[in-house]
Amino acid sequence: MALYPEYPLISDRLRLRPFTRGDVDAVYTYRSRDDVARYLFDVALSREECALAVQQRIGQVALEKDGDKIILAVELLSTGSLIGEVSLTWHSADARQGEIGWIFNPDYQGEGYATEAARALLDLAFGPGDIHRVSARCDVRNGSSWRLMERLGMRREAHFREHAIFKGEWDQEFVYAILRREWLSR
Amino acid sequence: MSSLSLPILTDRLELRTFERCDVDSLCEYHSLPSVQRYVSTPTYDRAEVAGALNLLRSQVNLQRPGDTLSLAMVRRGDHKLIGHVSLLWSDATAGQGEIRFFINPSYSGEGYTAEAIAAVFDLAFGHFRIHRVFARSDGRNHHSIKLMQQLGLRLEAHYREHALFQGEWDEELHFAILDREWQRSSKVKDLPMRARVA
Repeated sequence: MALYPEYPLISDRLRLRPFTRGDVDAVYTYRSRDDVARYLFDVALSREECALAVQQRIGQVALEKDGDKIILAVELLSTGSLIGEVSLTWHSADARQGEIGWIFNPDYQGEGYATEAARALLDLAFGPGDIHRVSARCDVRNGSSWRLMERLGMRREAHFREHAIFKGEWDQEFVYAILRREWLSR
Repeated sequence: MSSLSLPILTDRLELRTFERCDVDSLCEYHSLPSVQRYVSTPTYDRAEVAGALNLLRSQVNLQRPGDTLSLAMVRRGDHKLIGHVSLLWSDATAGQGEIRFFINPSYSGEGYTAEAIAAVFDLAFGHFRIHRVFARSDGRNHHSIKLMQQLGLRLEAHYREHALFQGEWDEELHFAILDREWQRSSKVKDLPMRARVA
């Protein structure tokens, strides 16, 4: 079942909405930082690369076929500041599998914004999206990311050790997941 | 790397590449549901098993990533082919391999698979210099889970309902072992826990 959500998604303190061309500067403030890029596949981005990333994200607003992604800008309702982004990837329409991810500006850390945004996205995935299982992955050293997964009620399903080389080093990766019935019974 | 020397002899088994005459023995187990799950070519009848055998016969070495080496497990006593083990070289940069093992259920429970896998680990880590070997298992296949633990593999992943398999939600385990974790001595079977003196 394809998913064309109605935007914006509103939570207590946040607005999740599609990216627009005006977001490049805000995205550049966090995607240019080494501490943000550390556990991402990308390195820190230049302003041109951010412009390109925003350009791609503008069209990523619906799930129509396997591999499609919804990527939304997260902004504060109070100030309108763009503080990060969340993504929902549709891995398999047949088996109703999805994956979530997030990138946030560390300047806004510690307020529970990422948790709130991720919850809104899981509501979308398990509600209108009718997804059966949502997974998330991160580097084992990225404690703030996997602790967020645990706060969301996700279970640690995998701990891969030295299964790949990431930025020149042996990689260790966690995979977390949550089933639709687990999310709905929370 | 020196050239690959086959067959490999273990205590009770000869591990050799497949031959044209193996079709009868392969037919005895290749189409069973438990075996079908992880074979690269699904088979329903003898003609299809013969096709699968052609592929197995071509899997004689690991030359480049993506290659598979498939070795028939043949009992040294009566030359009966009782199963096979495949080693897939999945990634060269990170030195990753996957092991898949299949046994004719009439011969399971005798430790043949463990014996064959131990020899293939020696080959993977010693000869091919692979860094990490992983194996997948159906979450309900207790024989295979016990075997992985007995060989010293770590449980790395337990996926629940992550896919549909033959119309049902699937459960899959991933086990793995690193080169530095595999030691020849681990081939010596420990006494079962209950036989140890407390």
